[in-house]
Amino acid sequence: MRDHSFLTDMAQKITKIILVAIVSVCLFLASDIVLPQSANAYPFWAQETAPKTPREATGRIVCANCHLAAKPAEVEIPQSVLPDTVFEAVVKIPYDHSAQQVLGDGSKGGLNVGAVLMLPDGFQIAPDDRISEELKEKVNGAYFQAYNEEHPNWVIVGPLPGDSYEEIVFPVLSPDPTTDPNIHYGKYSVHLGANRGRGQVYPTGQLSNNNLFKAPVAGTVSTITEAEDGAYSVTITAEDGNVTTVDIPAGPQLIVAEGQQVVVAEPLTNDPNVGGFGQKDTEVVLQSPTRILWLLVFIAGIMLSQILLVLKKKQIEKVQEAGMYF
Amino acid sequence: MSNPNSQLIKKPDLDDPKLRAKLAQNMGHHYYGEIAWPNDILYMFPVCILGTLGLIVGLSILDPAMIGEPADPFATPLEILPEWYLYPVFQILRVLPNKLLGIACQAAIPLGLMLIPFIESVNKFQNPFRRPIAMTVFLFGTAVTLWLGAGSIFPIDKSLTLGLF
Repeated sequence: MRDHSFLTDMAQKITKIILVAIVSVCLFLASDIVLPQSANAYPFWAQETAPKTPREATGRIVCANCHLAAKPAEVEIPQSVLPDTVFEAVVKIPYDHSAQQVLGDGSKGGLNVGAVLMLPDGFQIAPDDRISEELKEKVNGAYFQAYNEEHPNWVIVGPLPGDSYEEIVFPVLSPDPTTDPNIHYGKYSVHLGANRGRGQVYPTGQLSNNNLFKAPVAGTVSTITEAEDGAYSVTITAEDGNVTTVDIPAGPQLIVAEGQQVVVAEPLTNDPNVGGFGQKDTEVVLQSPTRILWLLVFIAGIMLSQILLVLKKKQIEKVQEAGMYF
Repeated sequence: MSNPNSQLIKKPDLDDPKLRAKLAQNMGHHYYGEIAWPNDILYMFPVCILGTLGLIVGLSILDPAMIGEPADPFATPLEILPEWYLYPVFQILRVLPNKLLGIACQAAIPLGLMLIPFIESVNKFQNPFRRPIAMTVFLFGTAVTLWLGAGSIFPIDKSLTLGLF
């Protein structure tokens, strides 16, 4: 009897798992058709390559694995926040707005920005009805997304056009420890990873066209053929006669000519990348209003006792001045 | 209290031979002056103690210490840095290309500090301004320590110039 129920239980579970798998595969395929991947760009890839957490055990945000250039990023967050309050976290992604990057097809275009902001447990993007009109204007329609289902406090945003979103305002709602027993007052860390521009590596390990291409072997550049779409195929003949072909996608500009001698790792193209990744780690205090109140009472008590002690000293000095010793 | 005739200021009793002997050696200054008990010790000390207590409690409430992440022995941090007071010696280890030389320098620091009292005992003066060599060595050592400590937080190629040059 027990075995039997165990088996049916197992069978049910397996069917459920298979069903979920089929549905998710269908969803993935459908979403690929409806929304091409390129439109989803980096947040999608970060979620895909590191589904559990965007922060590696070493403390590095995973964006840095594909966005190889280092650029500054800033996050402005209050030193402390009260529970159940909406506040703004401002992410700044500065870059030179006159610069243009190479796009996937090799043409030039403006830079996109995107960010992942890892807020402490319990913090989340404020619901619409809690955001004031003024804050709504600052947010400027940016769409925030939870990194995964378990962690609505890890928020990703982007890609957004960098010209209008150099500063991204996150409307954040702080949790309330009085209603949620898992949340405690105290100081917590906040991690920001912010990108501008396209990455250099795809999650599969392929190089993107936003890259500097180098000679894999030493030798002579024997032929350069240009394809219709702007891609190049550079053939390098080594001294021992071995022929190596380097395929360079459209985008970076060739800086070698036929007949030129190259050494290993000599750049064949310029570096078209103008973007990069920046990380910032900071802290925020979830502050209890009652603690603040009692601190004020305590400080007032201290100041009163200090004044009384000084007054007592002055009184004793008068007695001493009069030469009265008891 | 600035009035020298006030009862609150005790004048030195120059008839006391013990005090005179101490004063001759530039000591015994606590035998005269403003009264310590009870004026200072009973009333002014608590003022300072309470003030310090208020500052510490205020800081611990307004800027509490953060509970760090759980330790993971398999996750080497990307930037390895010791506690701040070890920055200068860490920098010595880091910039010296020969690791054995680096270890020798580590050992030289406590040994050098241990030698100071023996070397300094040849000098009869206590006043640092009367010991110009000791003063120069000390100030130079302090400057080098600060320089090494500041350099340890820079990448290795900038660590000796502090990224200034």
